[in-house]
Amino acid sequence: MTTEKNMPENQEQDYEIDTLTNDRLMKDHEYDGIRELDNGPPTWFNWLFILTIAFAVFYLVRLFVFRADDLMQRKEYEKQMAVAQRMAPAADEAGLFEVKLLTDNQSLDNGKQIFNSICAVCHMADGGGLVGPNLTDDYWIHGNTIADLYRVTTEGVIEKGMIPYRDQLSPQQRLEVSSYILEELVGTTPANPKEPQGELYAQD
Amino acid sequence: MRSSRERQIPMQKNNNLNLNYMELQKFTYDNKIARLFLNATVFWGIVAMLVGLLIATALVFPTLTSGISFLSFGRIRPLHTNAAIFAFVGNAIFTGVYYSTPRLLKTPMFSELLGKINFWGWQLIILAAAISLPLGYTVGKEYAELEWPIDIAIAIVWVVFGLNLTMTMIKRRVKHIYVAIWFYIATFVTVAVLHIVNSLAVPVSFMKSYPIYAGIQDALVQWWYGHNAVAFFLTTPFLGLMYYFVPKAANRPVYSYKLSIIHFWSLIFLYIWAGPHHLLYSALPDWVQALGVVFSVMLIAPSWGGMVNGLLTLRGAWDKVRQDPVLKMFVVGITAYGMATFEGPLLSLKTVNAISHFTDWTIAHVHIGALGWNGMLTFGMIYWLLPRFYKTRLWSVKMANAHFWLATTGMLFFAIPLYFAGITQSLMWKEFTEEGFLKYPNFMDTVVQILPMYFIRIFGGLLYISGVVLMIINVIQTTRTGKFVRFEEDQAPALKPIGESNEKGHRIIESKPLLFSLLALIVILIGGIVQIVPMFMVKSNVPTIASVQPYTPLELQGRDIYLREGCYNCHSQMVRPFRSEVERYGDYSKAGEVVYDHPFQFGSKRTGPDLARAGVKSSSLIYKNSVWHYNHFLDPQKMIPESIMPPYPWLSKRDINLSSTPKKIRAMQKLGVPYEEGFDQRANEHLLQQAAQIAQELRDAGIEVEDNKEVIALIAYIHRLGVDIHKTE
Repeated sequence: MTTEKNMPENQEQDYEIDTLTNDRLMKDHEYDGIRELDNGPPTWFNWLFILTIAFAVFYLVRLFVFRADDLMQRKEYEKQMAVAQRMAPAADEAGLFEVKLLTDNQSLDNGKQIFNSICAVCHMADGGGLVGPNLTDDYWIHGNTIADLYRVTTEGVIEKGMIPYRDQLSPQQRLEVSSYILEELVGTTPANPKEPQGELYAQD
Repeated sequence: MRSSRERQIPMQKNNNLNLNYMELQKFTYDNKIARLFLNATVFWGIVAMLVGLLIATALVFPTLTSGISFLSFGRIRPLHTNAAIFAFVGNAIFTGVYYSTPRLLKTPMFSELLGKINFWGWQLIILAAAISLPLGYTVGKEYAELEWPIDIAIAIVWVVFGLNLTMTMIKRRVKHIYVAIWFYIATFVTVAVLHIVNSLAVPVSFMKSYPIYAGIQDALVQWWYGHNAVAFFLTTPFLGLMYYFVPKAANRPVYSYKLSIIHFWSLIFLYIWAGPHHLLYSALPDWVQALGVVFSVMLIAPSWGGMVNGLLTLRGAWDKVRQDPVLKMFVVGITAYGMATFEGPLLSLKTVNAISHFTDWTIAHVHIGALGWNGMLTFGMIYWLLPRFYKTRLWSVKMANAHFWLATTGMLFFAIPLYFAGITQSLMWKEFTEEGFLKYPNFMDTVVQILPMYFIRIFGGLLYISGVVLMIINVIQTTRTGKFVRFEEDQAPALKPIGESNEKGHRIIESKPLLFSLLALIVILIGGIVQIVPMFMVKSNVPTIASVQPYTPLELQGRDIYLREGCYNCHSQMVRPFRSEVERYGDYSKAGEVVYDHPFQFGSKRTGPDLARAGVKSSSLIYKNSVWHYNHFLDPQKMIPESIMPPYPWLSKRDINLSSTPKKIRAMQKLGVPYEEGFDQRANEHLLQQAAQIAQELRDAGIEVEDNKEVIALIAYIHRLGVDIHKTE
């Protein structure tokens, strides 16, 4: 270790200096050759510590004394829900939304995307059915009009495991996916079709 | 034996001084135990990393180990974390402690026998973990998965270690204990307390038990433990190692003695309070969460105190750092520590945590700590120690430098993609369309998006591991070129009997190691007591919900299968009170819903969707019927082609262990779960009835399955999740 005894003329000063940094060494601090310097913590360190403690006090006072809403998660949640109002507030339930079969390419493309990302989990991407029924044949459990399909996607068939999509898909999206099923899937031949379920509806 | 190796030799005639004081005593250090631990560190290090590589690969190739139950992700991920923390880092701690402690205290370790028990006991525990975890023996609490017989062994071996350390301090020839030893003391006392309190459980049978705590209380105890395992297993012992090996390797004095006092005491006091930041926005009361936030923020300075003292010790030695791979590794390790301990408080802010929690951000964060701080410091220590053990030079400095660069770039390639993945996925989970619907209602869309990042992470891991392979070659070659020096001689005067002393302040307790240990114990107990005790004593912290009932026997068996397969490693059960989560998963989770959950299963990562309301048929995107679950468990990709969940084909083949049902019910009764008197005897009857119904449902859909298969129990459990709260409506 590069150290030197301080000059003999400073005899009253009883410490050594680290020559590389000119810092003072702690007296009698030597452990297996390791020495320690007599430096204090850097100033910025002290300020950082003080600032974080101040933050902590401020934070806790806000919660325990002032009961600040943003520190109570239930209030935060209620506020969040109040702000987030549906942009299209249940237009269909108010009767303003017309449920009719869509046939334009844009709508059917949208419908296909929704089908593949949500419905395919149970009905398979080709509509052949697996957990949910086959959607390509002419047998239907809950009817085969656009209004029937729209109703099932909206309200679900909870006892069969078909969940309602009222809260996950907009009315337009539900109509698009229902139209996609009727326009594009019905009549195709899936790879592994599930056996027919429900009643036979005449082909139109 | 120690006593036989110690001889007293009188110093040259020094007639006018106290002879007792000036007598130099000769003694020897035994390098054998440190070298054993070093070998174990290298061995378990590469094992832990290869297991990590396996599970990282399984995430992108989910059918990689299909059909082999003991290689499935949920069972192997705990093996990776346990091996990395307790085997790799654990053995590294012991290596450093057994090497530095005798030298700092100028005495051999107290007992060679205790050292041996410590070493072989620890290796046997690791071996037991490496066998039992893949076989599915688990408590189901992260980083505390090991079952009760192994937990007891850990406690015993840890106390053996502590005893050896303490007795060595008592036998010392140096009046004051150095800061490295302070950190060793804090490590010993705190890990002992954490491990014992968190592992308390009621055994059901050999290798199966239920924790005595339930639900939110269990969660608080677990994360008090889990967070402080980070603090007192991955941090404080390594700060101790830093305080020994950095000044040694650089041959420079420690930057600031005063700073080491300040940051030591503030670090151990504050750390213990920070656990609740793992449960932000959970059902934990606001006041506990707030304590978790503020104490985490206050930890920045004490943590950085360690970094400052490490880096500024290198002042005047930076020219050496450029050439010496050991110092380079220390510098990157300490810098990684600084980064991780800045990021930790950041992640503890509720606004940040709302985004980061349950994502790969957490995985990135912990690997900066593990690969950077623990890994680099360990590698540096190994490269420094080996030539000293073998009285030779490191076989290849070039190779060590290459290791340094591989490790550094590997760490970056590992962490940076995961930061991207975490933030990307979280923002996708939270995004709404203009109409006010979730933009990505299908969870799978958010997984597919980040899969490329998982590939890059594998590349990063490969770089890091190839560095370790270079190290192994270097270790073997260095060992071959030198000759192992088992005993090193040293001499020091005996310790002056403690008499009158005019010392002041901290210097006093530095000369009283037992008092020091006691003070450290008191300091680390405070935070835990303030947070945990009210959670058990004050009823308003866990408001009860009348409709919440205990699990049926079938559901309980299903839950144990859920634990065994480690489902909690990828699926959380905690809907946070955010609009985006309530829309996706259903009503947010309440503390009163999980009062019979021994252990809690909140999870910490959503590689797959949250399952807290997987049984609720309405208002959730998560509910699936029995037929779907059956198909999905056996072959997830059949139901969701892009799924990264591994298949569980054995669930339809293995029978539910009916003989365990009464024992499990009785254990639960002991824990206060209100099954009626004598229900244990009727439990299987009830179980079979419920199983028959589910099996019939499956058979109606054309699935051939028997009533008593494990998959039936698991489906029953999944369909129970989150439903009780809806029953009164």
